[in-house]
Amino acid sequence: MLLSSALLILQETLEIALLASMLAALSQRLAHRMVWMLFGMFGGFILALLYALNLGTISDWFDYVGQEVANASIQSTLAMFLFLLPWTIFRQSHASIHEAPRTIFPYHLFEIFAAISLMLVIGREGSEIIVYLDGFLQQGGQIKTVLVGSSIGFSIGISAGFLLFYALIELPRKWDIAVPILLLAMFAGNMLSQSSAQLIQADWLPSTPALWDTSGWISENSIMGQLLYALIGYEANPSLIQVAAYVAGAAAVLLAAIIAKYQSARNLPPA
Amino acid sequence: MKIFLRFIPGLLALLLPSSLLPATPVIEIEIRDHLFLPSEVIVPANTKVKLLIKNTDPTPEEFESYELNREKVIGGQSTAVIFIGPLTPGEYPFFGEFHPKTAQGKILAQ
Repeated sequence: MLLSSALLILQETLEIALLASMLAALSQRLAHRMVWMLFGMFGGFILALLYALNLGTISDWFDYVGQEVANASIQSTLAMFLFLLPWTIFRQSHASIHEAPRTIFPYHLFEIFAAISLMLVIGREGSEIIVYLDGFLQQGGQIKTVLVGSSIGFSIGISAGFLLFYALIELPRKWDIAVPILLLAMFAGNMLSQSSAQLIQADWLPSTPALWDTSGWISENSIMGQLLYALIGYEANPSLIQVAAYVAGAAAVLLAAIIAKYQSARNLPPA
Repeated sequence: MKIFLRFIPGLLALLLPSSLLPATPVIEIEIRDHLFLPSEVIVPANTKVKLLIKNTDPTPEEFESYELNREKVIGGQSTAVIFIGPLTPGEYPFFGEFHPKTAQGKILAQ
């Protein structure tokens, strides 16, 4: 039970921690304040609590597939905000990046979108943690083991996030915006792919045969499989729709970054 | 006018009552004492199947399967619906992620 609770909490925490570190690395590089993280974490905790407390009611919606619809909605919305993010990175020309005036509405759009993204991922993954822990709190018996295991899993997940953050901010200047954006693009693809999987499960989207089966090479049940799943959305046997959704999500974010960068470069003052 | 005659069979098909169409088979699985009952479920291959999972435990469980690409949290004293398939013939294990040591089962598509 110790190991299984550690693994479960690790899985949920990894997705949160990795997204948080990608956004934080970008935020650091763009000289934004980090206070958006607090808003994201607080909002995410509230959202997770609301979802967990109302899980029964939500699951009964839409003919007993409300949970899938809710998950797909949260994940697609998260993917949408990751698509909007590049437009807030390259908006300013290089000359004015340190001259941003503090207006009546002082928060830069990047910080708002980053906070919302963090809130959504914590809401989605955190709700499962809350439901899991609440079940054992009611049960009594194994709660101590479960709490210890959960703390271990949580700590490992958070550590992985810090590792990624420090790796990203140590990148040479040439890559320190491009690499986080690439990772965010894959995360967005992962979110859309998971959304489509939820809707297939709900029979709102048709089920198609798996495009490939790499479970012989990297099983989703292994540590490497879990890490790759959280980082880039690795699936051992995805259906066509899942793959298409992944490619669409990742491509959309990459295109947004390329177009936004191109537009901002054109706005540079003449040398 | 004769061109439209070819559409008559199709239009008549729309009048078919939906009860004549093959229904999605429904299979019930119960979660009791952190076990899946029955733990081996036989489903027709190449057919979409609706799993009706009834959790009679007071605590929640998560039905998960990597092979089937399905995962869903089922609250205590609740029922959940999960669609699987069409599956090629084979074995597809599933487990309860909240109690993985005891809650194990497999779908046999035949």
